[in-house]
Amino acid sequence: MGTKLSQHNHDNAQDYTDVPSDPALRVKALESLLIEKGLVDPVALDVLVDTFENRVGPRNGAQVVARAWVDSAYKQRLLDDGTSAIAEFGYSGGQGEKLTVVENTPSVHNVLVCTLCSCYPWPVLGLPPTWYKSAAYRSRTVIDPRGVLSELGLDLPNDVEVRVWDSNATSRYFVLPERPKGTESTSEADLATLVTRDTMIGVAKVASPSLGGVS
Amino acid sequence: MGGMHGLGEIGYRENEPGFHEPWELRAYALVQAMGTGGLRSHIERISAADYLRMGYYERWFTALVSRTIETGVITLSEVESGRADPTSVKATTALTPADARELPFRTPQAEQDIELTPQFHVGDRVRGRNIHPTTYTRMPRYTRSKMGVVERDRGVFNLPDSEGVSADPKPQHVYLIRYTADELWGYEASTNSSLYIDMWEDYLEPA
Repeated sequence: MGTKLSQHNHDNAQDYTDVPSDPALRVKALESLLIEKGLVDPVALDVLVDTFENRVGPRNGAQVVARAWVDSAYKQRLLDDGTSAIAEFGYSGGQGEKLTVVENTPSVHNVLVCTLCSCYPWPVLGLPPTWYKSAAYRSRTVIDPRGVLSELGLDLPNDVEVRVWDSNATSRYFVLPERPKGTESTSEADLATLVTRDTMIGVAKVASPSLGGVS
Repeated sequence: MGGMHGLGEIGYRENEPGFHEPWELRAYALVQAMGTGGLRSHIERISAADYLRMGYYERWFTALVSRTIETGVITLSEVESGRADPTSVKATTALTPADARELPFRTPQAEQDIELTPQFHVGDRVRGRNIHPTTYTRMPRYTRSKMGVVERDRGVFNLPDSEGVSADPKPQHVYLIRYTADELWGYEASTNSSLYIDMWEDYLEPA
């Protein structure tokens, strides 16, 4: 491990690729032990893996955003009580008890971080990306949000107020991004395809389809 | 670590997946299958040097192992050998496949249905108490002694600091507090910025 330590210190964001085989073996060994002891049912484990891999993720959040863009009554319910408005889609689960939706507008930009761990609105976004969990993102976003956003490709003029949400207690936050220009006649289903996870964390804006935003 | 410098690169990649290696997902599913409850306090017990070296799912896995050993259902020698002690009693599975289908969509209820008189109200100016708990805590260092304004009352929740230390829960109001960037960071503050965070009543005093 001695040689690996120095590598890690130079490059924290790459932790997951620096240690490929060792954790894999340890996880496998623990899994076998827990199954052997009757503590874990292997079928139940496969059900969980399938769910986290295929059924929970940012497509859920994108549906919520698209609905809010086309339905102003829904948007109001979403801003008033995120948890119950999101539950209208059947999305619920861990870290979803107090979901608070914060709206980006031409004058206010919201961005999410968790400085203490990696709190994240799982029911709408799934599990967080590695960069969101990096020590650098967690430490710098609170003190230098404009610098971090700029580094991630989003330059905001100084007259746009930046609000940082350090979601480390009981509530989880979720950004309702701005609807891009030129989408007035776009259907709700097509709008949902424009919404990326990063726009719901608040580190990017939803690209206009005319600017090549559809991927 | 909020506000610290020199912690490496963010390593941003657009639309990066949540899992990179199959073992990360398996480790995460094992945590759920074991139903250990909150592992945050175990994650925060990992020494600072190891914490920064480990990846996210390695921390979860490390916390799962220490929690499971602590509760007595497995032993350290079993973890090291990878085999069950032949004299141990076979346990009953905590989670059935039917439960597993429903579990990820079950929303936990941490809010306490208790009437407590709030010490603070929307619009009040409050100051972060200058406390340095040795226990687990959800009060970030950068809020200590800083002044903010109560934006919202979140309801009543148990104070996390006493979790695992005392058997007596400490239910209290949690408030959404707004701090200006100038108050938190002085002359290095980002222009026209503010920070919002939920704080337990014990973290705050009137300003």
